[in-house]
Amino acid sequence: MTGTHETEFLERLLAGEQQAFKELVDTYQSAMRAVAYAIVGSRQADEAVQDAWLAVVRSLPGFQRRSSLKTWLLTITANAAKNRYKQNRREVLLDDLPSPHGSIGDDRFAADGHWRVAPFAWHEDTPEALLSEDELRQCLEHTLLSLPQFQSSVLILRERQGLELEEICNLLEISLSNVRVLLHRARLKVFATLEHFEETGQC
Amino acid sequence: MLTCKEMVARSSDYLDGELTLGGRLLARQHLLFCRNCRRFIKQMRLAQAAVRALPEAPVPDADALAKDLAAQRRAQDKR
Repeated sequence: MTGTHETEFLERLLAGEQQAFKELVDTYQSAMRAVAYAIVGSRQADEAVQDAWLAVVRSLPGFQRRSSLKTWLLTITANAAKNRYKQNRREVLLDDLPSPHGSIGDDRFAADGHWRVAPFAWHEDTPEALLSEDELRQCLEHTLLSLPQFQSSVLILRERQGLELEEICNLLEISLSNVRVLLHRARLKVFATLEHFEETGQC
Repeated sequence: MLTCKEMVARSSDYLDGELTLGGRLLARQHLLFCRNCRRFIKQMRLAQAAVRALPEAPVPDADALAKDLAAQRRAQDKR
């Protein structure tokens, strides 16, 4: 959303128009939840998003448009989540969890670094064709749910929300190298899930 | 020359444009000669696109939330 469209939209929000708030919620809630989830985990993510919405309404008249609406909302969400968070998240940052279909690990390579088990050629070559199979879609969703909180949030913010790596670093207060590690681990698990499904025809 | 294992290890950085110029050249050179890694990268892109294309789960009670927020916004002005 840019320029005049955003100005108009902000006016509708300031006027307290319910339909405008509905659009706001529908457009940004999942990105906000991904930010909150990374910072406070699943148990408090919904509460943190609620806090954020209240802060958004309170701060709306003062929104200066020095950043995009999305960046502003996500920054408020990160702050709301940080206010709620108590445990030391640095400890869980790089913890990994097993994924239903594993990853692309060292066992895929021979000692000389060449593929030992080469990547299987998938049958489909568009996302639409891949996702047209209900079972594959569910299988992929299952893998996404199995990701540790930081991997999941970083993947969603990058792939689904299109945020720059730098923006993700700032929101979640983690280093660029950690964002890169988390994103890579998550992507390899998604890859392994799709490969497994394409190869065996089942989840 | 990169090995396939090294290529895979830096594949996300390659896809995100996070490699240095030298790193990018090494990766391109490897991909030029390695069919398996070309397939891997192509399917990594497809996996990214699939994550992006997953349908969004609807926000539960979005209408109620929007109604509540709009009401709060209007109440603010009256204060």
